Amino acid sequence: MKETLKVHFQFSPMAIRILLLSLCLSNLYASSSAVASSSQTATHTNNWAVLVCTSRFWFNYRHMANTLSLYRTVKRLGIPDERIILMLADDMACNARNKYPAQVFNNENHRLNLYGDNVEVDYRGYEVTVENFLRVLTGRHETAVPRSKRLLSDEGSHILLYMTGHGGEEFLKFQDSEELQSHDLADAVKQMKEKGRFKELLIMVDTCQAATLFSQLHSPGVLAIGSSLKGENSYSHHLDSDVGVSVVDRFTFYTLAFFERLNMYDNASLNSLFSSYNPSLLMSTAYYRTDLFPRRLEQVPVTNFFGSVMETIHTDRPYRARKRKESQDRIRMPLKEAVQDNQQRRLSDPEIEVRRVQAPEDSIGRTWNSLQNKMKIFEYPETFVYYGLVMMLPLLAVSTWLYS
Amino acid sequence: MAPKETPKMKQRPIVRLGILIISHSVVVSVICCISGVVALLLLPILAKNTYISENALMPGSANPMLSDQDVGEANKLVNALLDLKSEPISSGRVSTLVAEFISDLGAEVGYHKFYPESNQFHPLHFFSLPDSGSLQENVNCSMYGINVIGIARAPQGDGKEAVVLVTPYNSENADLSDALSIGLTYSVFSLLTQVTWLAKDIIWLVADSRYGEYSSVSAWLRDYQRPVFGASLILDSDTCDGGSRPYDLNNFMTCGKLIDNFKRAGTMAAALVVKVTEKSEPFVDTLNLYAEASNGQMPNLDLINIVNYLAVHRQGLHVKVKKLIPLLNAKWLNVLADILETVGVIFRRLNPQWKFGIPAAEYIDGTATLASSLYYQALGIPTGPHGAFRDYQVDAVTLEFSPYSLRKGRHKEFLLQGSRLIEGVIRSVNNLLEKFHQSFFLYLLTSPGRFVSVGVYMIPFILLVAPLPVMAASLYMNIFDFGPNTETGQLAVSPRSVTWLDAAKMVLIVHFWGAIVSLLPYCICQMDFSTPTMNLAIWSMLSALCFLLLCLVLGLHFNQTEKAKWVVLKSATLSAVFIGLCLMSVVNFATAEIGALLLVPLCLMIHPLKINPNMGTLVNFSRMALNFILLSMAFPPVSFFLLQGAVYGFHGIDIGDFWMWVESLWAWNSATYLYITMIHLPCWVLCLHILLHAR
Repeated sequence: MKETLKVHFQFSPMAIRILLLSLCLSNLYASSSAVASSSQTATHTNNWAVLVCTSRFWFNYRHMANTLSLYRTVKRLGIPDERIILMLADDMACNARNKYPAQVFNNENHRLNLYGDNVEVDYRGYEVTVENFLRVLTGRHETAVPRSKRLLSDEGSHILLYMTGHGGEEFLKFQDSEELQSHDLADAVKQMKEKGRFKELLIMVDTCQAATLFSQLHSPGVLAIGSSLKGENSYSHHLDSDVGVSVVDRFTFYTLAFFERLNMYDNASLNSLFSSYNPSLLMSTAYYRTDLFPRRLEQVPVTNFFGSVMETIHTDRPYRARKRKESQDRIRMPLKEAVQDNQQRRLSDPEIEVRRVQAPEDSIGRTWNSLQNKMKIFEYPETFVYYGLVMMLPLLAVSTWLYS
Repeated sequence: MAPKETPKMKQRPIVRLGILIISHSVVVSVICCISGVVALLLLPILAKNTYISENALMPGSANPMLSDQDVGEANKLVNALLDLKSEPISSGRVSTLVAEFISDLGAEVGYHKFYPESNQFHPLHFFSLPDSGSLQENVNCSMYGINVIGIARAPQGDGKEAVVLVTPYNSENADLSDALSIGLTYSVFSLLTQVTWLAKDIIWLVADSRYGEYSSVSAWLRDYQRPVFGASLILDSDTCDGGSRPYDLNNFMTCGKLIDNFKRAGTMAAALVVKVTEKSEPFVDTLNLYAEASNGQMPNLDLINIVNYLAVHRQGLHVKVKKLIPLLNAKWLNVLADILETVGVIFRRLNPQWKFGIPAAEYIDGTATLASSLYYQALGIPTGPHGAFRDYQVDAVTLEFSPYSLRKGRHKEFLLQGSRLIEGVIRSVNNLLEKFHQSFFLYLLTSPGRFVSVGVYMIPFILLVAPLPVMAASLYMNIFDFGPNTETGQLAVSPRSVTWLDAAKMVLIVHFWGAIVSLLPYCICQMDFSTPTMNLAIWSMLSALCFLLLCLVLGLHFNQTEKAKWVVLKSATLSAVFIGLCLMSVVNFATAEIGALLLVPLCLMIHPLKINPNMGTLVNFSRMALNFILLSMAFPPVSFFLLQGAVYGFHGIDIGDFWMWVESLWAWNSATYLYITMIHLPCWVLCLHILLHAR
């Protein structure tokens, strides 16, 4: 509870007004139309990350270091392990050529061991295939695949898809044996959209000619960023002459440098991330495709994708009597959709339930909230006290006048 | 009513093109031959810079870890070896000393006892490896060598692969440089026993080179690659039981134990032979690279590349490959280089984009290196112990350090520099995931950093041999007039085919004779004559005798009178030369290239010694003279002596040298020997036959 309050405090008053407005609007929407399943209108529910390292072999050490660094970053910014799908060949840490057994570093200063505690690799070694990758995205798994290896996102999810490896024009090589082509990726994203598996998707690719991989994307809500344009190579950042390999790629290095300055509560926008890439430092031109993305980048905090900070609304009472009304509304829905909804609910996290409970539905709650929010306009508690004292003066005058 | 037209059978374009070429065979031959020679001379210009093709190698990406401490330890070993030299009996002591040092490092130690094989002519296993079964015949029990093997296991590796370091050491004739070569390898090995990053085991072979560097390495490799269960034990206990063993090896070297002790690691990924010589270039530390293995096989270019890259860019060594020194001062080459440089300048003036032409000095250097590369590949004799590895498809190269710093007594400095280079190469090979396969196996070097790949050096050869089938076809077609009337075709064919059969018979018999000639040295060796000149004389006499016998038995007539006969014979000879050269180019390209240079002009030019009244005297005379010159030049002994004379000067040439040279060829199982006796010599005899054709 404390933390959520803190989040609100850090929002600027302007943002709060927008937030209030959007809340009112969404409530209006929900009450006016029963069918609210469209992802455009679904609120941001949770954050997922799919991190893929598509290469193997010792000399591709940097790709695994890239992926593990990003894994660490998104975990630090609040995406829990169960919502990160990590695909790695994972042959570096225990490679016989590794001078530091069971350790992976992304910098030659060796300060940060990326392969420390709690690295949960979901797809390992030869499991990192194009087939498995597409299955994860589209959710078409064999029945035996455990929940931990599935991307259980819903229509309100924000997904970060990070891929690194060796690529070329409109393809990405998977472990020297297969290729993922740009239309395969676009097709998978389209399927995800149809199935309501995401609200917004950020695809981040660090390969040579990464921009070409996005050429076939058409689904709305997708934001794509690649490390290099067509015909450009993506280069490694530096060589660790102790380990004897390059340890990180330039694009990922500067991405990480940006995130190292942030913590979970920072409010930096995606635009500031994108403008932080300096082509002369990258030795390639970072490319972003924003035409499918509905929001303006200045208004999207990076934590919308790289963290798990959501618009959590504080309520004073978790359970309220008016909740029934909503369920009655639901019953009025067509049967088919209701079933679908139930299924979805069963598949999705218990988080959704919490959201539903927390969402303000009744007018009392709303007024209370608005009051509370208005009170927050006073910037300092001291001013509030001063105002109160000033208000006391006429009250004192009236009371003395009455008595006298 | 339209008249019924009989459609004229139009030949396909390729057939018409063939007929066109054949009808202009003389022009085609002249153009092709000249352009072939020109293309060969242009090869140094067409050479490309080497580059590291395999991504996994990453040479020089890691800092060398070798420290002064390792060098200090190595220096102790060097001093201990030098101390041993002063003692009277040191042959066995050296092995034990080295073994002690290795086991002190915590590495595994093993001994390998071997009986040096005298190089013998094995006519029946020419291309096959000598198997251990054939050992027993030529083993001399009193002569044996002891190799010391140290193995550093990769701490986290799977033990499936290994990298081999070889240090040849002759304990009887050792000096400072030999001791330094052991010290150099020891310092690397001592480092490698401590590091955590090894993925391949390291085998260090201290080869006992009292009976030759090559034989000790090949003996170890044979036993390594072909484990014998029981047979070797029998050999030891039966043939050489009770042999005098050195006193200090007795405790751990009983026969049975020796077999058990044979240490093995995984498949060999690469091998480095380390040598140090006293002779050095002034003011620079030099590294000589030797790479040629048997029959012109080369290690993968990537191995040479990483050695060259690390030596030049990391250790600041001057890398050299062998070159034919006399060529550097050759007048004609200097003139040619100047001409090519001028042509290059003109080309660049025409279009700055054209990168044609190199400085004259560079061209001369490149040509000398290329010629040496071509010559040593053509010989088919390995240029060092690394050749033994190539027989087992292991890429190996000999690094011969000739340090200038030794003269100033700075041993430690040299040891540090050299062992850091070896460490770097091993770390790079250690990164390799598979065998060397990315880069070239077929190439000629024009400098340590430039090479001519197979795709380029094929062109001169193809241009040289292309006229042979064209000329053969043209000669064959021109014997009889091709009349348009096909009615007499049946009659015309039969005499033609008979002449053709006669010619083919002749060619086959001469080649059969060539096969007999190739086997004669085996008998001569059994008879054991003293001098090479004597051997050579007997060989040539026996060959001539065989030829006469064959002619008598198989009934070859020399008194053919028809003109058609020699023409058909020339046509058949041309075909035989073509087939022979093409076959040889698959086995050893360099031999085929040099052979083509000698044979092709001769075979194309050859004409009977007969005055043609239709032509002028001058033409007749010049043709005769040219025939004589070419014929004498292509005779193997003459071409050998001409080559020797051109390279080393004509004084001091002995007839016996040729026998020695041929002997070395068959002793090393070189395919060049087979080429000379079974292709070159028969074709030369056929040409001689045509020249002496009477009519």
